[in-house]
Amino acid sequence: MSKIVLQIDGRDVEAEQGMTVLEAARSAGISIPTVCHNEKLEPYGACRLCVVEVQGRGRTNLVASCLYPAEQALAVTTKSEKIDKTRKILIEQLLAHAPDAEILQNLAQEYGADKDRFEKEASFCILCGLCVRYCSEVKQNNAVGFFDRGATREIRFVPELAAKVCWDCKECFALCPTSYAQAAYHLTEALAFPSASSQLSSAK
Amino acid sequence: MPRINSPAELEEFRKDVISKRGPNKPCIAVCTGTGCLALGAANVVAAFKEEIKKQGLETKVEVRETGCPGFCERGPLIVIYPEEISYLQVQPGDAEEIVSQTIFAKKVIDRLLYVDPITGEKIVHESEIPFYKNQMRLLIGNNIKIDPKSIDDYLAVGGYSALVKALCQVTPEQVVELVKNSGLRGRGGAGFPTGLKWEFARKSPDETKYMIVNADEGDPGAFMDRALLEGNPFSVLEGLTIGAYAIGAHEGYVYVRQEYPLAVENVTLAIKQAEAYGFLGKNILGSGFDFTVTVHRGAGAFVCGEETALLASLEGKPGEPRARPPYPAVKGLFGKPTNINNVETWSNIPLILNKGPEYFASIGTEGSKGTKIFSLVGKVNNTGLVEVPMGITLRDIIYEVGGGIPGGKKFKAVQTGGPSGGCITEEYLDIEVDFDELRKVGAIMGSGGMIVMDEDTCMVDVAKYFLKFLSLESCGKCSPCREGIRQMLKILTRISEGKGRESDIGLLMELAESTRDASLCALGGTAPNPVLATLKYFRHEYEDHILHKRCQAGVCEELYKAKCTNACPIGQDVPGYLSLVAEGRYEEAISLIYQTNPLPGVCGRVCTHPCTDVCLRAETDEPLNIPKIKRFAADMAKRKGYTVKLEKGKAKEEKIAVIGGGPGGLAAAYSLALMGYRPTIIEELPQLGGMLRYGIPPYRLPREILDQEIDFIVNVGVEVKTNTRVGRDITLGQLQKEYDAIFVAVGAHKSLPIRVPGEDLPGVKGGAEFLREVELGIAPHPGKRVAVIGGGDVAMDIARTCRRMGAEVTIAYRRERKDMPASEEEIADAIAENIELKELVAPKSIRRANSGLALEMDVCELRDFDRSGRRRPVPIEGAVITREYDTIFSAIGQTSDLDFAESLETKGDTIAVDRHRLVTNLPGVFAGGDAVIGPARIVDALAHGKKAAVEIDRLLALKSGRDPYAESLEKIKVTMTLPEVVTEQPMAEIPKLSPEERIKDFTAEVELGFDEETAKKECGRCLRCDVSWMAARDKSMAVAG
Repeated sequence: MSKIVLQIDGRDVEAEQGMTVLEAARSAGISIPTVCHNEKLEPYGACRLCVVEVQGRGRTNLVASCLYPAEQALAVTTKSEKIDKTRKILIEQLLAHAPDAEILQNLAQEYGADKDRFEKEASFCILCGLCVRYCSEVKQNNAVGFFDRGATREIRFVPELAAKVCWDCKECFALCPTSYAQAAYHLTEALAFPSASSQLSSAK
Repeated sequence: MPRINSPAELEEFRKDVISKRGPNKPCIAVCTGTGCLALGAANVVAAFKEEIKKQGLETKVEVRETGCPGFCERGPLIVIYPEEISYLQVQPGDAEEIVSQTIFAKKVIDRLLYVDPITGEKIVHESEIPFYKNQMRLLIGNNIKIDPKSIDDYLAVGGYSALVKALCQVTPEQVVELVKNSGLRGRGGAGFPTGLKWEFARKSPDETKYMIVNADEGDPGAFMDRALLEGNPFSVLEGLTIGAYAIGAHEGYVYVRQEYPLAVENVTLAIKQAEAYGFLGKNILGSGFDFTVTVHRGAGAFVCGEETALLASLEGKPGEPRARPPYPAVKGLFGKPTNINNVETWSNIPLILNKGPEYFASIGTEGSKGTKIFSLVGKVNNTGLVEVPMGITLRDIIYEVGGGIPGGKKFKAVQTGGPSGGCITEEYLDIEVDFDELRKVGAIMGSGGMIVMDEDTCMVDVAKYFLKFLSLESCGKCSPCREGIRQMLKILTRISEGKGRESDIGLLMELAESTRDASLCALGGTAPNPVLATLKYFRHEYEDHILHKRCQAGVCEELYKAKCTNACPIGQDVPGYLSLVAEGRYEEAISLIYQTNPLPGVCGRVCTHPCTDVCLRAETDEPLNIPKIKRFAADMAKRKGYTVKLEKGKAKEEKIAVIGGGPGGLAAAYSLALMGYRPTIIEELPQLGGMLRYGIPPYRLPREILDQEIDFIVNVGVEVKTNTRVGRDITLGQLQKEYDAIFVAVGAHKSLPIRVPGEDLPGVKGGAEFLREVELGIAPHPGKRVAVIGGGDVAMDIARTCRRMGAEVTIAYRRERKDMPASEEEIADAIAENIELKELVAPKSIRRANSGLALEMDVCELRDFDRSGRRRPVPIEGAVITREYDTIFSAIGQTSDLDFAESLETKGDTIAVDRHRLVTNLPGVFAGGDAVIGPARIVDALAHGKKAAVEIDRLLALKSGRDPYAESLEKIKVTMTLPEVVTEQPMAEIPKLSPEERIKDFTAEVELGFDEETAKKECGRCLRCDVSWMAARDKSMAVAG
């Protein structure tokens, strides 16, 4: 792997070819907030809280640092008025769905986000996809997936698969920033295969 | 089918196909594109086939089912070759006549021809119909000439010669060069240079590469790709094959949405035929190049038009975009280099190869070459597909090709680029359409959707509509797009429901920015465009919805009262008083009118009634004669001596001056007096009334009526100081010291000059000044021969006044009668009084003549469309006429006399105000009416008067710490039932004095008013478009209660 040097916030940062900007920044101790990112998983670029500014084709673009490849001599800015403003409103929009999520509350404090700016629509899920991707990429079970698109997108457990594999796994619960994965699982279980837990409790 | 193994064999075969057809063999080409099929084209084809069989002509006459030529609105379309006779809206029943008359007897059937709506001329040949004539149909032109299910047809028009050229005459690198040199940019929307894209894919080092046709056309209302793929799939495949050769790919896909079944069918069949002929498959045309194509049907997600989402979908994954880089040219389908172009881009390729890049680059603008197909839809006369050279103006597309706005309505905006495009206003219609220019004005080319909107459109609703579409079509992966669209839609929805907040506009801007800048793909990146563009150009409509809870277009359901009520600046409950008059409840009717209008007898006579322009009844037969019913109610009240009960607020101390006694000033004073103030109207002239008295002659507005209504207002509690001109008798500064608040409503009483040599000569006069002098009784007689220059209501008033003074009058207008701003009724009345109307003449000079003044006029002809959407009059060289007159009046518009302004800030000839609060730069000084908006309608002035009163009260209440005045209106119960039956019945005409009678007397009112029976009957025509709304509201209130 060949080394490259890029500039992050005016600092020369050494990185390896193939790294993303986020990886390069974190390796140099520069912090960039993320919600949907997890090192065990492929970069996804959904929450967009990791946006940074890069110079390209004569203008400054906001890009997701978790996906953007680190390149030789790339000039990156991780903090600016525009970045902060963008992150703030994104946090505020996510807070409308999960007002009590700890990670969002902490970010809200950091960026001065107002959790009441948008009307509450407490779906609890912020669609970061950690559960879906973990189940697919790491466990290769695909027991939980996205359903529908746009404003009506949600995650759902596939009852037939969940009944078989979830009871012994439940690893996605810990990844979920809002505890919604757990709730969704239990809802599926209660509706589609209530026998599993009731049998278990009666066996006790 | 023969397999063709070399270019020589192809040319041999082509010759054979052409010779079998014969150039003079009659052919009936019937469009069987989706549009015409929906209009019954299949039955038309069957009828022709049967007729031809019946007459035993199977071998002599060909019936060809073709692709779409674009004029879908007039389908089913047929063209008869070789004469190229174009028939529109053909029905199966016409087949017999067409075969016997046109095919046999070579006679043209008049009733099936296109009729020019302006000239009334019938047009025989397709290429001469204005819709087609103003296009440049390089891509779509072949659609009507070929059967898309017959590759022989494509060969007969020269098909596959470009492929021969590519495979046998040039290298792949040279093909890339050719496309680069042509300047072709991708037609899918972003306009990326096609040659460059090909070069990237070509240079990607991989054995396996893929070619893709993006036919996932998803913009609402756009269907150019469908028309190409349905109508001429071979040109797309030929282009694709050339691209594959250039890039070095051997596999291709056509990604087409499955909602296009005919496109799927035709392209699938075309692939089969091309394979059979050897234009696809192994060793194409003996060149050693292999290429196969597969059709993939998309499930109809809008986002799959985005190339990375399309790739995911092709791979069998959910159609969600991924970040670029890596670009598909490096890492695309199944991780291999992939080149994706839009259908229209591909169909340009054979053209570039055939005619050369120089030819292609000679069409269009500096940055955008070639033609572009647009779907021209919405409020435009000729809807359909139009192919025009890049660089054409939007005005030419909408007016020359599109034939303008139907129903005499005004153009409002055009949305280009589909749901994520932007709207463009009148002001920018002259920009040259290309990728870069559209972007500069906040819109995009997109794939070429073009939705024309007229004045009946609500722009908040437009933004809401597109955001609703996008909220369903966003894939939902990234939060700025998913959540940003969700929140913007929520805000737009509440604004449209009258629940918007003043901070909403700022919040929309902020959301739009984060969605645009932080989203993963172009769907999110462009999604805020409808919001940003409507906010940029129509912010006042947002403000109307938010601040005044008013949707002028009457579109937003929650703010809808009735079409007429929404269109009326003072929001008169028109259906309410119509219903009361119909029931003979006249006293209640006049009370209801007075709740919003203190000048009913005046408005019933001279209001320009925007209400009738939007009346729903016009869709059945004619609109209601609303103003004349108002007049009837007002006259009835006077005759019967009804008094309107008024609720007056507690007396208030503050002193308020109203400068100007016209309708704006009167309305303000009236409202203020009702609130408990005792305002003072300061008027320059001897009597109140402003333009109503000194601009409108008594034969239209009897002074008795005007005096009575003004007296009524004054008696509510208004002080009047006449013969006092601010700036001469007292200064604005003095008034500011003396009064707590001032409302400036000085109107626009100064005529604009005509700007020709000689206009300073004695005998050349301003029209508005003349009307004033007549009213004051100081006007010198205009003489025997009078010319009036202009075409508005003021011009008519001057002409008819002079006529009553015994003059022979000519009205000179530079356009045509239909373009005149004056109401058609006024024009007709003037002509009935023997006033001459001279159209298409423009004043050139005025000089002294033997007896009076010689007016030299250019005779004009109408050319292209100007900013007003009317054709521009241009003097015909050498065509000058000279006539002699005693007096020449200019009546081409008026302006305000703002000499008194001092430190009051002005903008051009008007006073600068905040449109919603009517506040000026001076504290406590408000302004409204014509002095703010320029010469406008009486109702606009009334609306401003009322608004100013409310704002003044709000200010004074705030200063003294009391609550603003709360208006409490008596609830007048109106019957809320829909008419049971609607039978056709035209608008009731108002009876008039005969022209001979009326020109004898200057004060005799021309219009006589309805009798009771006629008025009631006219009211009965109201369709009560207010009823369902009221019913719904009452229901929801009952639920809430």
